[in-house]
Amino acid sequence: MITSLANWILTFDILSGMGSSVAWGLSLFVVAALIFVFVAVNAIVLVYIERKVSAFMQVRLGPMRVGKFGTLQTVADALKLLQKEDIIPKMADKVLFIVGPWVILVASVVTFAAIPFSDTLLAANMNIGLYYIVSISSIVVLGIVMAGWASNNKWSLYGAMRSAAQIISYEIPVGITLIAVVAVVGSLNLQTIIEAQGGTGNLFYWIPIPLPNWFIFHNPFLFIAAFVYLIGATAEINRTPFDIPESESELVAGFMTEFSGLRWALFFLSEYANATLVAFLVAIVFLGGWQSPFADYEGTQIGFSIITLVAIMWTLFVRTKTGRLSVYPLGLSFVITIAVWLFPGFAIWLASPGIFWMLMKVGTIIFLLMWFRWTFPRLRVDQLMYVSWKVILPLSLINLMGVAIWMWLTGEIQF
Amino acid sequence: MSYFSNISSAITTLVDGMKVTMGYFVRPREHVTLQYPDEVWPIPTRNIGVGEIDSYNTIRSKLVVDFEDCIGCKACERACPVDCINIETFKAGPEEDIGTTKNDTKIKLRVTSFTIDMSECMFCDLCTHPCPEDCIHMTPDYQFISNDNVKLDVTPEERWRDRDHLIYQFSKVSPEEREQRAAEAAKVAAAKAAAMEAKKAAAEKAAAAKASAEQAALDEAAREASVVEVTQSAASMPITPPAPIGSSPQSTPLTDAISGPAPDIISVQDTTPPDDTVEKLNIPMETITSPEVSEEKPVATETTVEPEKSTDTEDSSTGETENG
Repeated sequence: MITSLANWILTFDILSGMGSSVAWGLSLFVVAALIFVFVAVNAIVLVYIERKVSAFMQVRLGPMRVGKFGTLQTVADALKLLQKEDIIPKMADKVLFIVGPWVILVASVVTFAAIPFSDTLLAANMNIGLYYIVSISSIVVLGIVMAGWASNNKWSLYGAMRSAAQIISYEIPVGITLIAVVAVVGSLNLQTIIEAQGGTGNLFYWIPIPLPNWFIFHNPFLFIAAFVYLIGATAEINRTPFDIPESESELVAGFMTEFSGLRWALFFLSEYANATLVAFLVAIVFLGGWQSPFADYEGTQIGFSIITLVAIMWTLFVRTKTGRLSVYPLGLSFVITIAVWLFPGFAIWLASPGIFWMLMKVGTIIFLLMWFRWTFPRLRVDQLMYVSWKVILPLSLINLMGVAIWMWLTGEIQF
Repeated sequence: MSYFSNISSAITTLVDGMKVTMGYFVRPREHVTLQYPDEVWPIPTRNIGVGEIDSYNTIRSKLVVDFEDCIGCKACERACPVDCINIETFKAGPEEDIGTTKNDTKIKLRVTSFTIDMSECMFCDLCTHPCPEDCIHMTPDYQFISNDNVKLDVTPEERWRDRDHLIYQFSKVSPEEREQRAAEAAKVAAAKAAAMEAKKAAAEKAAAAKASAEQAALDEAAREASVVEVTQSAASMPITPPAPIGSSPQSTPLTDAISGPAPDIISVQDTTPPDDTVEKLNIPMETITSPEVSEEKPVATETTVEPEKSTDTEDSSTGETENG
């Protein structure tokens, strides 16, 4: 994307004299700014959605006063945070206190350089993209420890230490789970991983249910691995139920306790950037990234018809059982199905890969994370370590072995 | 084995919990949260069984005056047990037309200030019933809010409100006019006082002679009166006999011009210090039951009874000590 942008800049007559290296640097800056804008806007939107989702799950209304349905609430919050006084505690380590939030933010924003939004839209097509993302996102721990130590506050230090222990513990099962996928594809390049998931195939190779050829349906071990990865990643980004580093009821706000205003906003930004990153990784590695779930034009029509049928049956079932259910999802799927049958162009567009499908999948995973957050209670520290070392790690190891055996059995890999 | 059952039970319980939250998420929104300024709970109807009288059956949340109907009679101010109503009135000029109330009563007093301190009001409703024009009443409006202290946009009844102390001003009279009225009233009062002084100075000599003459007449009457007549006069004495004395111009120096006539007994004391009719007047009803009461005797009984009482107490005490 950077190279193509630089080439596009050089096509203008006025700008062609600047030289290719200057154009490349300029486009580098533009892409970095675009990524940062994406992260910032994404955080604002996600905070609003999260507040709404949590409100609906708790039979509340959520923000309603600022803008229509409170849509401008987070914008107002962001403006308020920007205006706030920059407070640095007297006894804090000033250098680390200032650097810490930026380390966290940079570490979480830089990972987006390797994320492919669509088959053409990505900043850097690295051949070690997956490795790069996993390793860079681990730097977040460094920033958290810096912030916690510099605050000179017991809650902050506790939070930072817990966070370090937690992230290091969960890095291992997460890494091994990703290795299982890499073992199937044979590449660390994210584009190659996504391209390997195109088309349709049978569920678990043998069961005759036509499904998209995503890795989550590729074999039963990867099916489990997807959930193992989701759990481990949730722990890695310090979200509930694994939010003991910033558990409000015990540690005030964990490593963020002493931060306010813009610095606190940076923490929030990186938190949602990390959540989005995890959602992107799940979508890329297990759900086919920017690949459409429908193979072609007819596949789209049939697929949406099936979805509508299922929606009708489910709505009727729940209505007869509880007497109350929102009909909007049913109406939406019904409208899309009619559109797909009436307008072939729309069906072709739905069947083609693109950023739409990527964002749909990412949104689903983020909603799943929010669903987790507003459903599950927080784990105890020892339970957290128990889950990591005694449940998730053995499971990921078994998955890795199982995937290898599966590949050998199905003959996809010859030794 | 418990290891695997733990994992399976964890998965099933997590799925159960997620079902619950998703059920609430998908459910159409019901009105659990009340969006306050837009939506308000209905005010409950109140019927305490006093028929159709509205002033009894309204929820008492705020005291409000229909200021156009206020005649400044201060009946509500007097009725208030906590003194939260404060009214300031000035007499309107003879050619001034302030208007009439809804009952066609002509308003004769200009009410320059009508404040209700809602932080002190205890919503007892005692002020609403004395009102002759039914202009002060309780409303069920419980929202004591406004955007600022001066301009009002919630209820149009009051002119300004002090939000810190919840003092509500209902009078529409401007502060300038209020000051002007107060100055005029002070001028009128000063003129009145001066006239009174002159009157008093002129009447002082005549009054002294008149008072002595009256006193002599009273003394004679008291001596000549029978026992029944004495008791009757003593009973009616605080009200009727001093009235002519009190109304005489000598009685005014203590009081100021605006307030009403001074208490009569004080004036009597001032005018006739040497005479003992005062003591006679001050004797309570119960003590004048004996037929031998005259104006000399009370002094004698007082002087004689006290030593008797003291001796009685001494005797009893000595007796007790002897017994002890």
